Amino acid sequence: MLDCEFTEEQRDALQEVANVGMGHAGARLAQLLSAFVALSVPRIRLIQRAELPAALDEMMSFADNVTAVRQGFKSDINGEAVVIFDGEGMREIAIAFGGEEAQDEHDETEVAYEAANILIGACLASVFEQLNCTLTYSAPRLIGRNIPLAVVVQPDTLHWGAALLLEVNFALENRNFRAHLITLTADESIARLRHALDELLADI
Amino acid sequence: MKDLSRALSELVVERVGFGIFAIDRDFNILMWNRFMQDYSGRSTDEVVGRNLWESFPELPRGWLKRKFDSVFVLGNYAFSSWEQRPFLFKFHHDRPLSGSNGYMQQDCTFMPLVEDGKVVAVCVTLADVTEFSILQREREAALTLVRANADRDGLTGIFNRRYFEEEMRLAFENWLKPGPTLSLLMFDIDHFKRVNDEHGHLAGDMVLREIAARVPEVLPGEHMFARYGGEEFAVMLPGLGLNDAIVVAENVRRAIAEDQIENGEIRLWITASLGVSATREAFTSYEMLINEADAALYAAKRQGRNQVAALHVGSV
Repeated sequence: MLDCEFTEEQRDALQEVANVGMGHAGARLAQLLSAFVALSVPRIRLIQRAELPAALDEMMSFADNVTAVRQGFKSDINGEAVVIFDGEGMREIAIAFGGEEAQDEHDETEVAYEAANILIGACLASVFEQLNCTLTYSAPRLIGRNIPLAVVVQPDTLHWGAALLLEVNFALENRNFRAHLITLTADESIARLRHALDELLADI
Repeated sequence: MKDLSRALSELVVERVGFGIFAIDRDFNILMWNRFMQDYSGRSTDEVVGRNLWESFPELPRGWLKRKFDSVFVLGNYAFSSWEQRPFLFKFHHDRPLSGSNGYMQQDCTFMPLVEDGKVVAVCVTLADVTEFSILQREREAALTLVRANADRDGLTGIFNRRYFEEEMRLAFENWLKPGPTLSLLMFDIDHFKRVNDEHGHLAGDMVLREIAARVPEVLPGEHMFARYGGEEFAVMLPGLGLNDAIVVAENVRRAIAEDQIENGEIRLWITASLGVSATREAFTSYEMLINEADAALYAAKRQGRNQVAALHVGSV
């Protein structure tokens, strides 16, 4: 049994690191996209596998189908990030991230990859560089286009016990566009994350 | 040891089966490995120190610059996949004999080189995924074929019963909305058992194939024709009322009966009995349409075969 419980100090430190990280990420995204990007205060929860669908449901407010893209990240802390776009917003995303309108499905998938990669990269790098971690990423892959939210993550296909779930959502100035980023860090990586947080706390 | 490690790094960069190149913030080429040289036909001396856009004006500049920008600004990885953008550089793949047409399919990864917190260069690796893309396309083509065959009758090549009923169900739901009338012909070859008994099963198969070929020639543009069972066939006619469907049925009867069916030494006069039905207010499921056409078919048989029957003539 892995010890996944965070101390109150660690929990506060993690929330602080995530808050600062999203601030940096917002600034970086604004510079890249030449538009103001509103990022929510990140929500962090430690969950058991069976609790995942309920937790996602609670965090996200999509009534319609969604497009979801996943990407793995690695350092001594590993995890997976998923960006979930609301179906309506895909056109807007194409304009914001691709510079032009998507012409067809291929374009739309490419734009979804591009946007997911940028959002994931900006947020995770901004969080993890505070913990002295440099991440490498796998190529983005499509989980599905225009699928119900419930199909995005299916708990019976997962292999971890406990996981740290971090959720942040984005809105883009003057655009009708919503996206959620969720990252999951499981089991051993949680212990490593706690260790990294302890080191950070020791430096202060 | 240091020298050996450096020599190994160089060996890997030069000989690995990936394209590797790097550019600085001004898009000048910093590095160009052996793979890039071999496939582009441009040596390291020709391109290193030169501007990427000037050296390769055919590159998709707007798109590629956005990729590089995201790496420079965010210090982030970027990726491109052959599925969305088949290639970055127009390289010929190394399967001129076995391969397909077109260019090397490429997956690219863009990585930042960070110094003192600033991205000073972007390194790009380019993987040749032509082989994989060919397999993927073959797999998709095979799947399409399997799906198409799943809807067809093996002997005659026309639609099978499963697919026909599925389409009937959809068309019937459309009529309920309400939509246009829907008619159905069901027909059965007369004395088919005799053909099999006297001339063998191959002759029977030949008759079924010939009918599958003749009937569509006399059907209106919008129709669905299927083998419903042994020697029974079905035609769905969207948009036609009962009287029009009876006219079509009579044409089908004549197309089957008017000429001998022949193959080598075998020449056979073949006839069929046809039942017709059309959607009526009382109908609540497509099965009712099928049952009524079937009942009409057996009426046609009873009345002496080689004829068309309908149970509710004049009701539409």
